[in-house]
Amino acid sequence: MLSEKEIALARETLEFALENGAQKARITLNKSLMELFGILNGELDKVSHALDRSLQVSLWVDGRFGSFSSNRLEEEGLRQFILGAIDTVRSLEPDEARDLPDPERLVKNAENGRELDLYDNAYETLTSDQRRALALGTSVWDRKAELEKGFRILSEEGEYSDSIFDSVVMDSNGLFARHTETSFEIGYEVTVEDGEGNRYASYWWDATPRLEAILPSLKTCCEKAVQRAAAQIGPMDHPGGKCNIVVDSECASKFLTPVLNALGGFAIQQKNSFLVDKAGQRVFSPHLTVMDRPWNKGESGSRLYDSEGVATREFPIIDQGVPTRYFINTYISHKTGLEPTIEDATRPVVLPYGGCKTRDDVLRKVGNGILITGFNGGNSNTSTGDFSYGIEGFAFEDGVITHPVREMLVTGNFIDLWNNLTDVADDARLCLSKLIPTLAFQNIDCNG
Amino acid sequence: MIHPEQHYLDIFQVDIPRMDALIAEALRQGGDYADLYFENTTYGNLVLRDGAVTSGGRHIDFGVGVRVLNGEKTGYAYSESTAREDMMACARAASAIADGTSAFYEHSVPATANGSRLVGRRFRGAPNPAADRYPVSIHWRTTESSVLIPYLQKLESEIRARDTRVVKVIGVISWQVTDILMYNSLKECKYETRPMGAFSATVIFQQGGKVENKTVSRSFRAGVEMLSDQVVEEMAAQAVKGIDERFDARRPKGGQMPVVMGAGASGILLHEAMGHAFEADFNRKGTSIFSDKMGQQVCPKGIQIIDDGTLKGNRGALNFDDEGVPGQKTYMVEDGILTSYLHDRISARHYGVSPTGNGRRESFRYAPIPRMRATYMESGDAAPADIIASVPQGIYVDEFSNGQVKIGEGDFTFFVKSGFLIENGRLTAPVKDINIIGNGPEALRDVLAVGNDLAIDPGTWTCGKEQSVPVSCGIPTVLIKNLTVGGE
Repeated sequence: MLSEKEIALARETLEFALENGAQKARITLNKSLMELFGILNGELDKVSHALDRSLQVSLWVDGRFGSFSSNRLEEEGLRQFILGAIDTVRSLEPDEARDLPDPERLVKNAENGRELDLYDNAYETLTSDQRRALALGTSVWDRKAELEKGFRILSEEGEYSDSIFDSVVMDSNGLFARHTETSFEIGYEVTVEDGEGNRYASYWWDATPRLEAILPSLKTCCEKAVQRAAAQIGPMDHPGGKCNIVVDSECASKFLTPVLNALGGFAIQQKNSFLVDKAGQRVFSPHLTVMDRPWNKGESGSRLYDSEGVATREFPIIDQGVPTRYFINTYISHKTGLEPTIEDATRPVVLPYGGCKTRDDVLRKVGNGILITGFNGGNSNTSTGDFSYGIEGFAFEDGVITHPVREMLVTGNFIDLWNNLTDVADDARLCLSKLIPTLAFQNIDCNG
Repeated sequence: MIHPEQHYLDIFQVDIPRMDALIAEALRQGGDYADLYFENTTYGNLVLRDGAVTSGGRHIDFGVGVRVLNGEKTGYAYSESTAREDMMACARAASAIADGTSAFYEHSVPATANGSRLVGRRFRGAPNPAADRYPVSIHWRTTESSVLIPYLQKLESEIRARDTRVVKVIGVISWQVTDILMYNSLKECKYETRPMGAFSATVIFQQGGKVENKTVSRSFRAGVEMLSDQVVEEMAAQAVKGIDERFDARRPKGGQMPVVMGAGASGILLHEAMGHAFEADFNRKGTSIFSDKMGQQVCPKGIQIIDDGTLKGNRGALNFDDEGVPGQKTYMVEDGILTSYLHDRISARHYGVSPTGNGRRESFRYAPIPRMRATYMESGDAAPADIIASVPQGIYVDEFSNGQVKIGEGDFTFFVKSGFLIENGRLTAPVKDINIIGNGPEALRDVLAVGNDLAIDPGTWTCGKEQSVPVSCGIPTVLIKNLTVGGE
């Protein structure tokens, strides 16, 4: 998608910066194209065409550092922009910790952008009429009467979109790397009303790099959103207390993302993390192992390199409850003296534990408790690890869902929570950037 | 800030005939309205970390969005170039929504279908489109970093001087200046330059083995003149205020209880739990819990809830919205009665009312949708101390850090960053890191008292409904009869 001329412009910009005062530089050129068709109550409601380019420039000038970007890629304008950027960097204070990564750490095998099989040629042959037809075929509005069993579908709102993203990064240490991927996505939001006028809304979505792989979801996405909305009808209070909780794979990242963030080098260096000085210690349950698996071909989220151009690799982020290391980019490494790594988790995968395959297996094994299918607000304290989230979900007894719950909160501390992990199923959704299956925890504070 | 029209035509290298030609191309396949939105934005930022301003940058975003409306259906495309052929291609892409059809204007809902008060809200308040609500005396684009850096350095030293437990300070000055030119098939041409500055500090405190953090910020539609020694002093004082209590704070016992919202930043609850449900797109599509409540009593008499684009220098201020409609002060609830949704041109047409100046977008990459500006409740007549004294057992909240609402059900959840237990009418033990959950319509009905101390929070609030736009919020001290408080 990026033309040779555009890539050449990026190279020339890099050279121009080096010729005009920068001692080191890195250029990232991104380009993306997205076509979107929106559906409202069975009719085409929105079409959108989006073509984006951006040139990101990092400059090292006289021991100082600055970062810049522009989407105006005319050659002369860019030159003026770079000259202004160099002047701006000179006005900052020096920072010896700023540097490019060691060339030995840079990716070597991302030459054409398609090494990870994330690009589907079918994207190039899709016509506007075909896209429109795909989008219109996803609605259930014309057969909603057959789906309305004790409730009314008030509205359905969906979007089909496909996109291509192409990116190159190059630096003055000889880095050149490229990443190209296509994406095909479907998402629906549905609102239903019960016989008493109470409204319930829910959603469903799917995304994949391959057109063929999204086709089954185009047929089922809206109906699944209807089912999820209707399942919430008739919520009841729950007494709460110390409960077993089962967290659906769709929303389980709510509990893991803050842990990964707490392992970020910047949070550690700023002492704004509940995992300061915890690397190498057993902090969580030994049932918890999180691998970074960035090279799975054909799966969204796979990457060969990070934003510095550093090669990703497969390694355990948390090994049987032990965080193995922090994520330390070049800057934080120089600030702290810690060994540099990639800058963040690329594609974390929580490994199964306990023998359950699916959510239903976990419910049967756990017996009684609360199944969490979504979160509604809340937050966590990055310094302490304390959290409190509003939850959506269901009570279950003897492994069977009994009724939706309403106005419930789950409250605790992430270290305590992950020490109460009892089961990890094997049903992670491939469309999510973090592959986290259904999880089960015991003895968790729930308030109703 | 408003320059002469030619200034904007020059930036985007267009003229009226060329824009007419683009509109004609956009409507070639049909449709009944089209508009162009040209944007030239410069962003800048400086970051103080570990005692030095060692990071900064500048960014440019430039382009034009073309929108075609066919009835209530939208075609949208944008170009990052204003070369004629690129804009024409963009207009053709947006025209795909019409596909040879034209859906001329019809009111989908009769103007008085939901009560006679639906109309008559037009331009109440201060609709003057000629007003410049964000004049600038010192321009961000031409100010050297060396002028800004001392404010960051002083903020850090003032914070550290006030509390020995400070271990880290991250200070940020960020700014944005946007030149906008709008033109539409009604031949309306609007133009202006919007400034936005933000000054913030995140502070990490350590006491024994415990760590706490606090963020303070100021953000205004203003130039560099928003920075001053007085602002630095105020922010430094705010950054360390209440830290003793935060280290001592604990989670209370959970359950249902009365909740007192402190004046100012608690207004985020009004924004999330009620304001979004008043946005007309959610109502037009039938998803909002308020979609059948127009003209009905939704909270006790005497309460006014407002969304206001007319507050000079406010983060939510607008001379024009992003459809060229004049910025206005919109009463959503008057004397407890729901009297107006927040409209863009599409929803206003659907309901047969005038647009309220709420059609906003993050950038030229997005079509406008109804969005809030500065949302607040007007002051009542109760003294804040009397409100607290009237609660035997409950929670007082003075800072929320996050909130979310389910538009269809009205259920909301908010994270309490800091607050106090109320015991026998007095503030006692500090509390933190808990959630409050409730239902928007029920909470509105359950307002028992409204204080006489409305405060608009000066912080950096950004609303993230599909797109990010700057907003602000405010509220007087308010007592709600019963909400669920999460705890041990």
